[in-house]
Formats: sequence, C-alpha cells, structure tokens
Amino acid sequence: MQVAGAATWPEVNLRSAEFGFVRRGADMRQGDDGVMNKDPARPADWIAAIAARQDRTAFAALFAFYAPRIKTLLMRMGASADVGEDIAQETLLSVWRKAASFDPARASASTWIYTIARNLRIDRLRHDNMARLYEQSETVEREGPERPDATLSAEERAQRVRAALDKIPEEQVCVLKLSFFEGHAHGDIAEELKLPLGTVKSRLRLAMSRLRLLLGDLS
Amino acid sequence: MTITQHPSDATLAAFASGTLDEARGLVVATHLSLCAQCRKAVRAFEHVGGVLLDDLPPSEMSAGALARAVPALDRPQTPPPAAAAPRDVHGENLPAPLASYELGSWRWIGRGVQWRPVALRAADDTRVFMLKAAPGTRLPRHRHTGTEWTCVFEGAFRHDLGRYGPGDFDEADESMEHNPVVEDGVACICLVALQGSIELQGWMGRLLQPFVRI
Repeated sequence: MQVAGAATWPEVNLRSAEFGFVRRGADMRQGDDGVMNKDPARPADWIAAIAARQDRTAFAALFAFYAPRIKTLLMRMGASADVGEDIAQETLLSVWRKAASFDPARASASTWIYTIARNLRIDRLRHDNMARLYEQSETVEREGPERPDATLSAEERAQRVRAALDKIPEEQVCVLKLSFFEGHAHGDIAEELKLPLGTVKSRLRLAMSRLRLLLGDLS
Repeated sequence: MTITQHPSDATLAAFASGTLDEARGLVVATHLSLCAQCRKAVRAFEHVGGVLLDDLPPSEMSAGALARAVPALDRPQTPPPAAAAPRDVHGENLPAPLASYELGSWRWIGRGVQWRPVALRAADDTRVFMLKAAPGTRLPRHRHTGTEWTCVFEGAFRHDLGRYGPGDFDEADESMEHNPVVEDGVACICLVALQGSIELQGWMGRLLQPFVRI
C-alpha cells in the first residue's frame, strides 16, 4: 500500500479503497484535474463532510494530500522522519476531531491544518504551555471585535498570497521560506546558500517588507 | 490603549510559524493579546503558511500510514487536559498569556527597580521576567549579548528609539546600547524576554551587575 506522495486525488480514491470504507462519491470525482492546488475549495468540503457525517472517504483524501506535506514541513524544520510522520498523523487525527470547529470564513483548509500542525509541533518540542499561547490568541481573536475580512473567500485569500509571493524575486522567497517557515538561523541559511550573512539578512528584510505590503490588509 | 510600537514583521512571521522559543513567544503573545493589528498580521502570515504547505513536495509516508490512523478515528476522544483553560492565579490584572505561568515574588534589584521571574518549563537560553520601575527611574545604560524583547503593561519608558507605553513592544538586539528612562507619573511594569546576558555600563551598572545575573 502506498498512499504516500499521492498528490493527486483519483489516486487517493483507488488507494483508499483498500480500507474498505471507500465510497467513491460522485461529488468528489468531479473536476479531477490531478492538481489539487487548483481547487482549494475541495479540502474545505472534505472537512465539512467529516463534520457532518464522519465521512471517511473525505478523511482519506485529506490524509493523502496533507499528511505527506506536513511530514515534509516538519522534516525541513529539523524533525526526524519518524517525528514528522507522527505529527502528520496527529494533525490529521486532530482535523477529524475538530472538523466541526473549522470555519471556512476565517481560514482555508490549508491554513487551518497548517496551524494545527504548528501547534502540535510546539507541543511535541516543548510542552503545552507554549501551545496554549496559540490557542489563547485564537480565542481572543474569535471573541474580539475583529472579524476576518468577510468579503474575501479562502480561495481569494490564497490567490492573493500566491500573487504576492509571485511578485517577490525567487531568491528572496527562498530565504523567506528557510527563515520564517522552516525556522533556520540566518547563519545556517548563509552557509547553506553560500551567501554572505549580510546578503541573507538584507534579502530577508526586503522579502518581508514586500510581503507585508503585498498582503495588505489580509486577515 | 494606543499602541504605537509593534514587533517586526519578521517576528510576527516567526510567531505565526511557531519557531520562536517559548520566552520570546510569550512576550509576543502578550503583545498580541493587546494588539488587534498584530493579530491580523499573524493571521496573514498563517495564510502564507497554508499556501506554502500546499506547495511543499510530499514526503513518502511509511507503509500503512493511513491504515494506522483509521482505528484512532473510532477511539473516544480523550478530553483535553483540565489545565487548558488558563486560570488567573495571580489575582492581578495580567494579560491572559501570562496567567497560566508561575510567577515568583517581586524582589528589589536596584534603586526603584523590582524584578519578578516567570517560570518557563522549557530550558532555553532566554529568560522571562517582569520588571517594575518607579516613575523617573533611569535604568543603567546597557547592551545585550542577545535580544531583549519587552512588552509594556503599565506606565511608559523612553529610550533613543522612542516612547513605549502600555501594550507597546520593544525589540532590541545585540547591536543596541540604550538607557531607558521611566516616565514620571506611574510605575512602569513590563514583561521582558532576555536572551544571553545584559552588560551594564558605568559605575551603577557594575553595582547592579550581580543582581541582574538572574
């Protein structure tokens, strides 16, 4: 069995048939183009299906897309393959359990799952105190006066992020990813890219200010 | 509360991606609990994280990964630990992120300055403490061997780079040398994450040094 690396969705269905709970829903087959990124609304539907009827086909689909990517993220952040896989498992399990609290107006499925994986990683690395900081921050936001921009759909937000990243030179996006999303120290990045430390720092500064500018009031 | 000094974008992005150590994460979370604008920025960076996650190449999962996950779906969910709801044991009006941390008692560390440790469970090279400085106190000129991040709760201080009042966030690094002055009026209470150590300059600094090696 090889669910791994199943980035495309038809493959998911075929593989997950091995688990005996697969119902090849017509709604899920529709519009397969092999590239899930082009249809960001779909993972949100899968989460909704889990919330509504504990849909295991939807779970298998989410698992096939996200678990291998969460594993990659964790490994790039320095986790071993085992820990990366563990946290990927826990994340998807958490998605299953918390599906009812997913609010597509606030975040895309990917953003929501990203934050769950982030919190579980922190949990694993340190302890619950730190992870609690994130939960609190989310509660404050939920209860606070600010609401996410209701005029933007999750899809539009993702498009805006992509458009912003596209406008930033590749070399800057590269250090941005290494530094902020994978958590590497500036010195390590300089070494890895064989660049002077000052260049890494200035690229980061440029990338960061452009990103903020381009994202604008995205929330 | 009008907040004018915020964490850098880099810091907010690092918070969003969960790569800050606990000490600095706590000070940033404290600022976030007071600043809607920065909460929005963190949210925006989380959207970036979501997009980047989508774009990552998948890693191969071990054989039967999904099959192993499935039985867990039926397991009754263990209730979240009771401690999940932060309780304010300190009886003070502290920002929410601090409420679940154990705080030491206030101790004088110099004229007009009191210090109170915040117990972290993770062993880091960064310490967190609260400082309470009397109105008009001049803190000794100092520089750092690492970063010094501060979030103000009450009162205000000034240094070369500006004025820091309630909710404001001051992100100093090792390249800075400064001597903050507390404004007149009320005592200044703040939360500080200090990486490495402080090097105090001048005769007063030498006097205080043993106390500040907390």
